[in-house]
Amino acid sequence: MNTENRNFPARPPPPPFSSSPFASAPPPGVVPPQSGGPEAVGFRPPARPFTPSGPPMAPPAGVMRPAGQPPLVSQLPGSRPPPPSFPSTAYGPPGGGGGSFQRFPTPPPSGVPPPPQTLAGHLSPPMSFRPQQPMASVTMGPPPPSMTSGIPGGFASPSGPGFQQSMPGGPQPSYPGYPSNQVLQGPPKPFQTPSQGPPSAVSSYPPQTGGFAQHPGQQNMHPSYAPPPTSNVQGLVEDFNSLSLSNIPGSLEPGLDHTSFPRPLDGDVEPSSFAEAYPMNCHSRYLRLTTNAIPNSQSLASRWHLPLGAVVCPLAEAPEGEEVPLIDFGSSGIIRCRRCRTYVNPYVTFTDSGRKWRCNICSMLNDVPGEYFSHLDATGRRMDLDQRLELTKGSVEIIAPTEYMVRPPMPPIYFFLIDVSFSATKSGMLEVATQTIKSCLDNLPGYPRTQIGFITYDSTLHFYNMKSSLSQPQMMVVSDLDDIFVPLPDDLLVNLSESRNVVEAFLDSLPLMFQNNVNVESAFGPALKAAYMVMNQLGGKLLIFQNSLPSLGVGRLKLRGDDPRVYGTDKEYTLRVAEDTFYKQMAADCTKFQIGINVYAFSDKYTDIASLGTLAKYTGGQVYYYPGFQSSIHGDKLRHELARDLTRETAWESVMRIRCGKGIRFSSYHGNFMLRSTDLLALPAVDCDKAYAMQLTLEETLLTTQTVYFQVALLYTASCGERRIRVHTAVAPVVTDLGEMYRQADTGSIVSVYSRLAIEKTLSSKLDDARNVIQQKIVKALREYRNLNAVQHRLGSRLIYPESLKFLPLYGLAIGKSTPLQGGPADASLDERCAAGFTMMALPVKKLLKLLYPSLFRVDEWLLKPLADLDDLKDVVRRLPLAAESLDSRGLYIYDDGFRLVLWFGRMLSPDIAKNLLGADFAAELSRVTLQEQENGMSKKLMRLIKKVRENDPSYHPMCFLVRQGEQPREGFLLLRHLIEDQMGGSTSYVDWVLQLHRQIQQNA
Amino acid sequence: MAWDLFLWILSFFVSLALVASVFYQVICLTDLEADYLNPFETSTRINRLILPEFILQGSLCVLFLITWHWVFFLVALPVTCYHAMLYKERRHLIDVTEVFRGISFEKKLRFTKLGFYIFLFIMVVFRLTLSAVYSFTEDDDLLHLF
Repeated sequence: MNTENRNFPARPPPPPFSSSPFASAPPPGVVPPQSGGPEAVGFRPPARPFTPSGPPMAPPAGVMRPAGQPPLVSQLPGSRPPPPSFPSTAYGPPGGGGGSFQRFPTPPPSGVPPPPQTLAGHLSPPMSFRPQQPMASVTMGPPPPSMTSGIPGGFASPSGPGFQQSMPGGPQPSYPGYPSNQVLQGPPKPFQTPSQGPPSAVSSYPPQTGGFAQHPGQQNMHPSYAPPPTSNVQGLVEDFNSLSLSNIPGSLEPGLDHTSFPRPLDGDVEPSSFAEAYPMNCHSRYLRLTTNAIPNSQSLASRWHLPLGAVVCPLAEAPEGEEVPLIDFGSSGIIRCRRCRTYVNPYVTFTDSGRKWRCNICSMLNDVPGEYFSHLDATGRRMDLDQRLELTKGSVEIIAPTEYMVRPPMPPIYFFLIDVSFSATKSGMLEVATQTIKSCLDNLPGYPRTQIGFITYDSTLHFYNMKSSLSQPQMMVVSDLDDIFVPLPDDLLVNLSESRNVVEAFLDSLPLMFQNNVNVESAFGPALKAAYMVMNQLGGKLLIFQNSLPSLGVGRLKLRGDDPRVYGTDKEYTLRVAEDTFYKQMAADCTKFQIGINVYAFSDKYTDIASLGTLAKYTGGQVYYYPGFQSSIHGDKLRHELARDLTRETAWESVMRIRCGKGIRFSSYHGNFMLRSTDLLALPAVDCDKAYAMQLTLEETLLTTQTVYFQVALLYTASCGERRIRVHTAVAPVVTDLGEMYRQADTGSIVSVYSRLAIEKTLSSKLDDARNVIQQKIVKALREYRNLNAVQHRLGSRLIYPESLKFLPLYGLAIGKSTPLQGGPADASLDERCAAGFTMMALPVKKLLKLLYPSLFRVDEWLLKPLADLDDLKDVVRRLPLAAESLDSRGLYIYDDGFRLVLWFGRMLSPDIAKNLLGADFAAELSRVTLQEQENGMSKKLMRLIKKVRENDPSYHPMCFLVRQGEQPREGFLLLRHLIEDQMGGSTSYVDWVLQLHRQIQQNA
Repeated sequence: MAWDLFLWILSFFVSLALVASVFYQVICLTDLEADYLNPFETSTRINRLILPEFILQGSLCVLFLITWHWVFFLVALPVTCYHAMLYKERRHLIDVTEVFRGISFEKKLRFTKLGFYIFLFIMVVFRLTLSAVYSFTEDDDLLHLF
């Protein structure tokens, strides 16, 4: 049996504050039952606003579309819009629908309706109609008495149409698009009739609810709702997606169709309806909650087995035109709540004719400073609202006055700690690094205040005096590693614009100076200490280029990764944590003095990334790992990534705090940073490529508020020397209903938290345990969901899951197969594991999802098309399921996980293509061939495509690997192992994984 | 007899020091939670005290053993063993980078130890009093009453 999950990628989400799109079943006959998926037809009602007195509008089959989309009725064969007065109940029982059944469930705030389903064989109901659960706009003020008792969530609870009818009659003034006035008005209007959408139509339908509203448990929770009078069709509508699995667990029936399993082939689709329901929230690129519905009680939270929290990327890159506005409060000072220190934001309300404002987080009434005062208009909004970006935008940047500085803002400081031992020069790392640094000198942020300094080391430390008065840098060698002293401490860190010539001369001569160096020792620890002593006056960014295992002085490390006997034992995790406390202590000291560390590691042998990476982890940095670095192969990657590291906008000496409403508290944080106090993240240097996850707990047994506010504040020094506060504010409704939480869940955010939890778990237990933890969490969550729905639906042997979490099982599998967690000791080297772990702890949601489920697409057909252009990357890059059966031996495929590109040449790929792309090397072994542009259109086209793929995401530079089908073991290592839907070695395939989950869910279910 | 008195006076001061040390550590941790101290300072303050505390406690335990006060020795032994285990596994010091993750456990541990040391302290004070009274009254029977 098929379950057809169809997305509507092109369908724009419903308009803000509108009622949710209409759900209805189409008339039978419209949809061919055998079509494998019902034709969903979008329909947009006329753009005139509905009024409750207007003629009831019975929408035809399909989903309401917001304005802007042309009606697509014509696509619907045989469909005609019913006459306007035609109530929906006029849809007759199905004549020929047979066992096919479909619906367009639309939970209120989610807006995006789950895809229609064909559930042939399970249900053969009469066509049922499930009316909209109307969504009232959430108000920021106290609710009307009629609302408080029943629906603490404001709009979150399922409510019958009678609820809708209780709205003030008559058309209300509506503020299309931007209802900020609602926020600021004195007595807030509880509901606002949306300017478009079907709520008025709903009121003309017989009251009828389905799905969750009928849940007995939930009826208790909503005592104010009368049971729906007509419930004969209840239970026939399903609010979830399902996968039909074989009745006998474990055996694969021929009917089990794994092609219908959900796959995130469109990448990460954010729940956009939520953003539209709250247009003043900050964009989801800055803050993503794991569910956009906060449970109202601890008991409800404990039934929500998924993480409850958020992923924050405070400096995410905004596309052109959406930059965060910069605000200067000037003489009035920054407006903050006196008690909870919340920054003024769009959700605060002004009262007392504008003289006071109420904090949205702690409800404290604050005075408005004289300079900030503005009169309120009749609706209670400030007259100057249009000029006050901080009152209309969820993300703002505020210029901080001197009270926010403990010292003058620091200049951008880049300090380089470069290994110049034998392997560094031999691999060409030194040359590439110095060239790149030199080419970036012009683009370092913060000119003319930028400072720069260098220390190189092998078995001794080399300091460089780069005073501007010198013409050539002076080198000073310190060989006493036990008692490090810094010669000329003032001239080691120099102003770049003043000493530019000396710095350039130094960078030119450095590779030459050490080109014959045969020293293989590495006095890393003492060098780090020396760098720390130079930098600890000001702080800054420390870039470490390490080529071998630290072997001399303090912090020397042992070759501990070589012992395979440790694997699989309880001691295994110790290999993944820092060996020497020196590293943790240094990291803590560096954070204290605002030094952020980025580690670049190049060795092909064991370098103990676990210890080195600790430095980056606790200073908010990153680990870049180039195993077996060769400048001819990895040079480009290092060049791009180092350049990106040096030139991207960086926030210096920053601290971040996230505040939230009363009753909840952020209890744990996950990512690369150090906690300075219970809720203050110290981030010496932070940039757009870093994200932080956090989990929250409910402190009170019952939340009485209807909404919860979150405010992320990042206080930092911009490269220009200004102290700034970046503030992101978001709101989420409090709900009483577990189903609502599931509907509002955000898979991307959940997966991000899970992967961080799993990686943290590997630091204290075995890999197996870490994978099991994730599996158990997913099982628990889905089991709870099953229990939630089992009461009213015959679930049979189906695996059910909410639409919002349809990719969760697959991503869960992908986490288990990701580099830090996969397989056993042989599957990935210890260093690779640790490096990937440190990287994944910092990745923003979108990049992480791409890494977990990389894209795979076929390009040979596109390359052969003569006129095809690159204009639409989407057409070319049609992602395929990550399974070996997606690979056709006549094709050329690109695998892209954001860090690597693998070009897979099928065995029977036309030799012309290979010849065109690879030139004369096309028959050679591909491990020796690098992809270069050839003098022909096809090759140019491919290179343009690759360039475009790389430009799409500049934070890492994916290296290009070429592999031919059957070229073992490279093929397995580069590609096959990463086809996560397949069974490889001891890992499970997607089908088995789903069956396994299903079996576990059904135990005790 | 004078030796006995001396032993109890010594134990009195040692256990007093232990109580004071653990109490101070608890204060530091609560200060950290309340944001009066930063993790760097907290961990230096606490870590400075941990080894002396272990040594003091261990020597007290040994002292009880060699003076054959086996009740006291058995009371002190579990803590000594626990300390030895922590030290062997290198978990005895507060990890400055992850101090917030383990703070609830560390606090609980220290509260338990505080209770234990106070109990030990009371016992020692009792014996000290007895011993002092005995040595001043020169009455042999008094000790046998206990």
